[in-house]
Amino acid sequence: MIRLQDVTKVYEGGTVAVRDVGLDVPKGEFLFLVGPSGSGKSTLIRLLLREEQPTRGTIWVAGKDITAMPSWKIPYLRRTIGTVFQDFKLLPNKTVGENVAFALEVLGRPRGVIKTQVNQVLDLVGLEGKADRLPKQLSGGEQQRVSVARAFVNRPPIMLCDEPTGNLDPATSVGIMRLLDRINRTGTTIVMATHDHAIVDAMRRRVVALEAGSVVRDQSTGRYEEGQVSS
Amino acid sequence: MTRLAYLIQEALINMRRNLLVVTGAVLAVFVSLALALGALMVNEIVRVNTLQWQEGTHVIVFLKDTRDGISLDSQLALREQIDGWDVVSSTQYVDQQAAYEEFKELFANTSIVRQVDPSVLPASIRIRLTDITQYRDVTFRLIDEPAVREVVSPGESIDRLSNLSSVLNWLGLGLALIQGAAAVVLISNTIRMAIYARREEVAVMRLVGASNWFIRIPFLIEGMLEGFAGAAVAVFAVWFARRRLGGVDDSIDLFQLTVADGFFLKWALLFLLFGAVAGILGSALGLRRFLKV
Repeated sequence: MIRLQDVTKVYEGGTVAVRDVGLDVPKGEFLFLVGPSGSGKSTLIRLLLREEQPTRGTIWVAGKDITAMPSWKIPYLRRTIGTVFQDFKLLPNKTVGENVAFALEVLGRPRGVIKTQVNQVLDLVGLEGKADRLPKQLSGGEQQRVSVARAFVNRPPIMLCDEPTGNLDPATSVGIMRLLDRINRTGTTIVMATHDHAIVDAMRRRVVALEAGSVVRDQSTGRYEEGQVSS
Repeated sequence: MTRLAYLIQEALINMRRNLLVVTGAVLAVFVSLALALGALMVNEIVRVNTLQWQEGTHVIVFLKDTRDGISLDSQLALREQIDGWDVVSSTQYVDQQAAYEEFKELFANTSIVRQVDPSVLPASIRIRLTDITQYRDVTFRLIDEPAVREVVSPGESIDRLSNLSSVLNWLGLGLALIQGAAAVVLISNTIRMAIYARREEVAVMRLVGASNWFIRIPFLIEGMLEGFAGAAVAVFAVWFARRRLGGVDDSIDLFQLTVADGFFLKWALLFLLFGAVAGILGSALGLRRFLKV
């Protein structure tokens, strides 16, 4: 579903954010990207969204070489990818329902379809009855659920999560991870960058560790720290 | 259709949110376009009025008569000679009696008429030229003719008016260009502020895969509406001024202070169109830098 070949990203000024990364993520996989701050996790996610172009190398998403994609096709690429971020990226002056509906409105879906799909996805993420609230009236965990709902409402084949539990307490994080796990079991490929040892160790999924932009470890059922290998 | 409605609605929400800035842009467009349209109207007024001059008599030749030893025949011979010149489009012979009639008409309400005898008024040849700027040549050729008493021409006034007309032409054109450019820049600025105010929304739109045009169109609609609104107010203001001046018109016969309906309508429509196009253009300019994929 996602394939990176010898991908290197050098930012202006010479900072090497990603160095010769090769990675293959089959459909339906749940992959953790781990590593210290500045190791290149977020850059990798930005590259997959084509918010950045790699300096060298090729990236395929859903069978398409996105590094050679003309810019007018990029929105269509992004429609196949749901995104969840640490800071939720919700619009503060729109209600929960409107925030989720927004993702469908900008795709030009008919109003009736939007309404049913929004209610349906809010039920799925456990926010039934909260469609009319504003984001600031919700807890952090609930806000992140809204953001997951928005990412999933379009049923994308891929979800990219950049530290989705970074702002949440451990108990709330578990709730979000259960949600992502369920979404993954519907066949959605998930790539999640995280710092959270407990979550990675508990989920026992594929772990790719980055350090200074390079892949230093890739285990099919790994832990956050090396040396506790179980595969 | 629902999509278009959605986009227009987005534009209107944008505008409501930045009402002050939008008002500023509309006023700026209004001032620019009202000035430009006003200059155009003044220019047209001058053109129409010089045209009246130009359509009238260009050169009047007052003739000597029998008292000076010049016969009617030599007067008519002179007229025939003038008729033969290339630059002359037509001539008219006005004898003493006709001159007196005209004089009576001109000074109908004054006592001067009773004191003037027809015989003191000279006969004249009125000449109309194909090209009014040739009046000096014609005067030069006539001035030494034995039958000629005096040659008069409104030529100098015409010179001055056509100079004024061409100066106003350039001034109006320059003003319209500068003001038009200013309107475009001002709208582009407004759109930039609108984008800045909505940068979070735009970021999310991009994230969920809204197409570039879907993001841009509300801003383009906003720019178009602002340009159009400014132009509409400008057209209304000039129309109002024109109506007020039109009311004064009756009391001033010499100088016509109004322009034809057709002329006004044509330019009003063009300005409305220009306002809308300038709005879209300004908007596109504002979008260019801020909305990269």
